[in-house]
Amino acid sequence: MTASQLIARQSLAGLARDRSVLILTTFFAAMVLVTAWLGWSATNTVNAIYADAAQYLTASAQPVPPNPVSQSAPLAVLRNLGVYISLIGAFGAIVIGQLLIEIDRRAGTLPLIGARPFDRRDFTFGKMRALVTVTGAMMAIAGVISVATLFTIPSLVLGLSDLLHLALFLVAGWAYITIFGFMALGAAARMSATAGGLIAATVVWLVVTFVLPELTANVHPTAAINPVSTLAGTPDSGFFHLMSWVLGPFSLAEGFAWASGDLLSFLPDGLAPRGPVPPAVTLPVALILAGLFAVRSVAKLDLNAGGPDV
Amino acid sequence: MNIAHETSAAPNGLRDRRPKERTNAMTTALPSVSTSGLGKSYDGAPALHPLTLDVPKGEVFGFLGHNGAGKTTTIRLLTTLLAPTTGTARVAGHDIASDPLRVRAAIGYLPENVRLYDRFTTRENLTFFARLSGVANPADAVDETLDFLDITPLTDRRVGTFSKGMRQRVGLAQAILHRPEVLFLDEPTSGLDPMGVRQLREIVEKLHDRGMTIFMNTHLLSEVARSCTSIGVLAHGRLVFHDSMQAVTDKYDERSLEDLYVGVAERAPQVAA
Repeated sequence: MTASQLIARQSLAGLARDRSVLILTTFFAAMVLVTAWLGWSATNTVNAIYADAAQYLTASAQPVPPNPVSQSAPLAVLRNLGVYISLIGAFGAIVIGQLLIEIDRRAGTLPLIGARPFDRRDFTFGKMRALVTVTGAMMAIAGVISVATLFTIPSLVLGLSDLLHLALFLVAGWAYITIFGFMALGAAARMSATAGGLIAATVVWLVVTFVLPELTANVHPTAAINPVSTLAGTPDSGFFHLMSWVLGPFSLAEGFAWASGDLLSFLPDGLAPRGPVPPAVTLPVALILAGLFAVRSVAKLDLNAGGPDV
Repeated sequence: MNIAHETSAAPNGLRDRRPKERTNAMTTALPSVSTSGLGKSYDGAPALHPLTLDVPKGEVFGFLGHNGAGKTTTIRLLTTLLAPTTGTARVAGHDIASDPLRVRAAIGYLPENVRLYDRFTTRENLTFFARLSGVANPADAVDETLDFLDITPLTDRRVGTFSKGMRQRVGLAQAILHRPEVLFLDEPTSGLDPMGVRQLREIVEKLHDRGMTIFMNTHLLSEVARSCTSIGVLAHGRLVFHDSMQAVTDKYDERSLEDLYVGVAERAPQVAA
């Protein structure tokens, strides 16, 4: 086992014993379940109403229109999932990113690790590997719940293309939350104060989630947590068109919402992404930049710090 | 731990668990610790003035000094945790700047107030550090080390439940798991009760008997008098005294050792000038 793998494994074991991580991941899984149940319940309600209507129409010898459930895109049932990933998933990734440094700092083990014969880069990559594993596990949980839900809804027919789109959506969600995890990892490494990394990354997350959408498209914070209203078009004003063009590439929450709508097939017709660069570019670029920030920051982490005597 | 077996099996008397590639590079003819003008400054303010010092192999070196004298900075430089501003140093024959990985393979380090991972057991903590040190058979190394330190009953208990003294011994275990050539102890008796101090002294003596070089920062003159074979006194970042313990005890008793320490420490600014 390489040093990087050892660091990652130890970090994951530490996270698994941390109550805040367990609470957050459980909450995330619970909200994904709620999302799935809401989609399942709404679809079943439509199915039930359609069955009654079809029975009535058949009895009165009138033509029966097709079931709207079978007419709509099956993945649209999961439209709320994007919001929970954007809110709880991203915040969970921030907490995990910060904890990955804080666990060692709090235990005072950084000097013990730093005095071991392995390359410092292995420590950095071990921490990043642990983060990527946890965010991947979170999206895997979301994926399992989603697929299980979709297969239990009558009248919904899932094709290979749907499953591929769902997989792409989960990858996009993983990339989105990992961006914030990397930010928190890097910020925690740069700031010796216990909550410094957490606060810094949370501020960035709040700005991306609530402030930028308000500037680009007048999407108020309450609307920003609604999967449909967050996909509003840019208001017809010079200010918003300018802001949308300038800030659009940085408005990652809107980019992810647009990608979610596109991949889960509930994107309003004709809605273009904000700014000149599509989310298919901005999200990977942001992930790479956040990863580089984490690499540089963890490489500069003061291994002398930590423990009760600091 | 089978001491008789290990005495013939390894350079320090314990079973040698260092990776072969690393042990082959040892240069036994050289002092275990050798510094030449080693210094450290923070924003231009010197924390350690250029230090030139040799600690021969097998010594227990007591590094004395007031709080902020630069003792911990020296250990952090020698353990490669800090980069020097000036000078060079070799530990176990390896240059700390150009060959830090070999230095780290040859050293053990116990920082002041070690805590370890509270939610992990002693075995889980030690196994992690053994693996990071490249120990080939971590489970055996952990068992032997715990046995050597007489703390086997702590093996499967969570470290978070331990007293200061118990933590210190587990901390010492992580420092010697891989059978280092040089052991750095930073205020190892800090916060320990008299029984803990005595137990630690006995461990240091056992390690010394097995040929390990020990570099120990301490405040306790009584510990220096009992455990160390040579001492250095650091004051305001400068080495103001360095001699063998034999030479010191030939001239001073334990009470006078305190006078010696206070005297050289107080004269430090004049010496520095």
